[in-house]
Amino acid sequence: MTDTLKTSVAIQAIGPRGRRRSPSGVRWGSPGVYLVALILITVCITPILYIIIGGFRTNSQITTDPSGWPAPWEIGNYTDVLGSSEFWTAMVNSTIAAVGTTLGAVILGVMASYVIARYEFGGKAIMYSFFAAGLMFPITVAITPLYLLIRNLGLVNSLGGIILPQIAFALPTTIIILVPFLRAIPKELEEAASIDGASRLGFFWRMVIPLSLPGVITVGILAFIGSWNGYMLPLFILNDASLFTLPLGVQNFSSQYSVDTARVLAYTSLSMLPALIFFSMFERRIVGGLTGAVKG
Amino acid sequence: MTESQALMSSTAPARSNRVGTDGASVPTRAPRRPDWRKRGEIALLAGPALLIFVGFVIFPVMMAAFYGFFKWNGYGWPTEFVGLDNYALMLQDDTFRAAVGHNFTIVVLSLLMQGPIAILFALLLNQKIRGRSVIRVLIFAPYVIAEVVVGTGWSLMLQDAGALNSLLEKVGLGALQNSWIADPAIAMWSLMIIITWKYIGFAVILMLAGMQSIPEELYEAAAIDGAGFWKSQWSITLPLLGPTIRIWAFLSIIGSLQLFDLVNIIWGQYIAATAGTSTMATYMYQNGHLAGSYGYGNAVAVMLFLISLVVALVYQRFVLRRDTEGALTGDSRKGRRR
Amino acid sequence: MKMRKALAAGAAVVALGSLVLAGCSGTSGGGGEGEGGETTLTMWHNSTTGDGKQYWEDAAAAFNEANPEVTVKVTSIQNEDMDGKLQTAVNSGDMPDIFMARGGGKLADIVAAGKVKDLTDLIDDDVKTALGEAPFSAFTVDGKIYGVPSAVLPGGIFYSKDLFEQAGIASEPTTVAELEDAVDKLKTAGIAPIALGAKDAWPAAHWYYFFAVRACGQDVIENLATSPDFTDKCWLDAADNLNEFAETEPFNEGFLTTTAQQGANSSAGLVANHKAAMELMGAWDVGVIAGLTPDEQPLPDLGWFPFPEVDGGDGEAGAMMGGVDGYSCSTDSPASCEEFLNFVSSKEWQEGYATAFQTIPANQDATGAVTDPSLKPLMEAYSKAPYVSLWLDTALGQNVGNALNTGVVEMLAGQGDPQKLVDSIANAAARG
Repeated sequence: MTDTLKTSVAIQAIGPRGRRRSPSGVRWGSPGVYLVALILITVCITPILYIIIGGFRTNSQITTDPSGWPAPWEIGNYTDVLGSSEFWTAMVNSTIAAVGTTLGAVILGVMASYVIARYEFGGKAIMYSFFAAGLMFPITVAITPLYLLIRNLGLVNSLGGIILPQIAFALPTTIIILVPFLRAIPKELEEAASIDGASRLGFFWRMVIPLSLPGVITVGILAFIGSWNGYMLPLFILNDASLFTLPLGVQNFSSQYSVDTARVLAYTSLSMLPALIFFSMFERRIVGGLTGAVKG
Repeated sequence: MTESQALMSSTAPARSNRVGTDGASVPTRAPRRPDWRKRGEIALLAGPALLIFVGFVIFPVMMAAFYGFFKWNGYGWPTEFVGLDNYALMLQDDTFRAAVGHNFTIVVLSLLMQGPIAILFALLLNQKIRGRSVIRVLIFAPYVIAEVVVGTGWSLMLQDAGALNSLLEKVGLGALQNSWIADPAIAMWSLMIIITWKYIGFAVILMLAGMQSIPEELYEAAAIDGAGFWKSQWSITLPLLGPTIRIWAFLSIIGSLQLFDLVNIIWGQYIAATAGTSTMATYMYQNGHLAGSYGYGNAVAVMLFLISLVVALVYQRFVLRRDTEGALTGDSRKGRRR
Repeated sequence: MKMRKALAAGAAVVALGSLVLAGCSGTSGGGGEGEGGETTLTMWHNSTTGDGKQYWEDAAAAFNEANPEVTVKVTSIQNEDMDGKLQTAVNSGDMPDIFMARGGGKLADIVAAGKVKDLTDLIDDDVKTALGEAPFSAFTVDGKIYGVPSAVLPGGIFYSKDLFEQAGIASEPTTVAELEDAVDKLKTAGIAPIALGAKDAWPAAHWYYFFAVRACGQDVIENLATSPDFTDKCWLDAADNLNEFAETEPFNEGFLTTTAQQGANSSAGLVANHKAAMELMGAWDVGVIAGLTPDEQPLPDLGWFPFPEVDGGDGEAGAMMGGVDGYSCSTDSPASCEEFLNFVSSKEWQEGYATAFQTIPANQDATGAVTDPSLKPLMEAYSKAPYVSLWLDTALGQNVGNALNTGVVEMLAGQGDPQKLVDSIANAAARG
């Protein structure tokens, strides 16, 4: 039974879409299920819609009638944001930072997880707990010593100064999710590979990486979202307006003494889009990825 | 098979298990020759991650612990050493103790509110129906959005002069209007609803993933035995979902202890305490950063870290032990009830 | 196990190494001397949008024209984030050459760390005369001046003349009793009397501080930044007065969740949209309200009167409280720093400042540029005031100021009393 399970997980890991769905075909569910789903979706989406629609109003409208429809529909906020060069600059910077963070976290995370998952050595438990402990520290306090370090590395006011710490902070989650997943790759495969003369590194390179792709995509998405939404770190490290990432760009709409709420709503609606799109592109892989992880 | 096993076991240190001919685990005492090649590989693979992690995470943590022993206004090098005074003051402060209490309330309520709902929805959405992808994306959407944005939106909705009260008024339910944010009797529930909203999608997806690995044959067998939908969920899915639930609970607990952004944006820096929703992190921010008492603030951060660490260790020891035993010794046979 | 020890040792080495690295933080200040004597000045201010931002860019360009070898690099930082970013920069030796400062205890902290340039002798004499003594007092620490003011922002009560008329209030209240009267009339007319952004704490605290200015003698108030005396009975009196006033329920409903200026549902927004009649604020409020009205123009019926007098206090009649915005130089900045500050303190640039920020310039010769009708009574009261104190939370420094702000909110939320408020000061002093 155990072996069947392990192999079935491994197969799921390999198959691009997971084999479980295709045999019986996709069918319409019962109305009850859709009703429940509808309720859940409504609850989830309504506040988001509020933010999006709020962007179509003026500040005065929001004050006088908080829960009303835009009257009239004010597209000026959205067009202003889309037309401002700061928005697109920030979009590019955010993308660079997020992609850099994701690649770094994934590559380093996979390597380290592989060690913890499949090598036998005494410090293994400590290494695992070491990384897990990183989850428990709030970054708001770490910022001053962190800034000092980044400054001494000469990375202040550069995107590299954001990417490196973000990779470090993404490592705990990455490793916690990847370790059980990498473990799920059956030992038989490893043994078979070594019979064929492959070393542990060779096994890693040629088999583990392709097999763990769903897990890799999962942690990649989580790292991407973490970087995309990060505010504190860019705030302190970046001084040059041309390097600002999207969350920092909100400043453009908060002046010295006041906040242009409507425009902020429009801006944040537009900045959520890439993260949502990224997620929906890879959504199926996530479920595949976490399957291995939760097996534990 | 035996050949390769010998190959493997000769390089494995003491704790590995070798499968004997009868299939049972037989612990071996491998010779203790240091395997430099293996160490090299470990260093090569895990080295970069460790380096970056120590540099950018551990080092700041240690500096924070260092600052926590001083009274420091944030400028220049700290000079006023006060030892454990900051910690003593902290533990005597009612506001801090209240914040700790709130954190644990949030921990418990999060588990109780999100867990059952997530499992329930996952059960219903686990069926292979059309539109499953779309539904999943939409449910996960709140998780993808930055906490700052979430906070701003909900703030506008729940303010006394905000959208919710205004809507209630319009549909004639004006009597139900309340001070959703500031009223201590209601504020915690408002916070819990917002937290649930944000993280339920993540919990649902996690549970769904866990359900994927349960073999269909079990359900088919149960169906043959005449068990209905709910009965088979009760006896098959829930028990096998155990590891999933435990890992989700772990992430939820740690996240609840660290809660900051949502409370800070919606309740602001000052009324979190009066409304009864302050957390250790908001307390730290208010009494450290905002008050310019960086030594004290760092001490609170270290305390937060220690509390999280203790909770995590206790949880690992008593709850996750069964699941992770296999994870850490490399033999999943030990970790699974079969 | 060897591996474990090796790991631990490795970690310790890296950590130690990082500590050493960090310890050797270089002292390169913001300004650099390039080849050919070219200097760059970095400047941080908090006008992230609109006319204010444009003003500084124009000033930088003009200065560069007049002094071709100096370039001023201007960076705008969101107000709320400014303190944190500045603190990090100060500690790492990356300080900007010119940075925005508001004086009081906060500035005194940076001065104590030796990071602010003493400008006492570096400010042009005509600038000193034009600005007068009062604004400089906010930037004076131990008798030396550490900053140049750019705007004075005294506080008082802004109100909507139309709403007052609607409620049948004939004249501006001059005593607290008259104010309570006006509150009653407004309530009868169904109008929220006073908008209060208690979510941000400081607007509520300002009520307390004004009561304190009325109750405490001049010497108590003026010594707060350097030798604060909290044993005086006046602090408790002020708290009692505030408590009494608050019990008449003069504030808008849900004031605990109303922000001061953050956009739509803020207290400024309420006044801008005629949903509340009054708010206690500083001179910047004109610009803020203007941004939140339906047509985004200044509110036409906006009026102003000074904080009412309170019986039995030690404070002198007409005393005011206000903030001062200004700029300081870091210790390592080149000489062009104070040159720039002198440059923008001229009448011409101060007039531009007044227009761009819709506020009162520090340079008294430039006050003619102030056109807004509600600012005129403000300037009058300011020039006639026997003394003007800095906002008490700025004067007291972040630690105590923050504690007082919190305490006032607690009291107004019904979770504290006057005595507890005064006690919180002692508690805060113990922590910081």
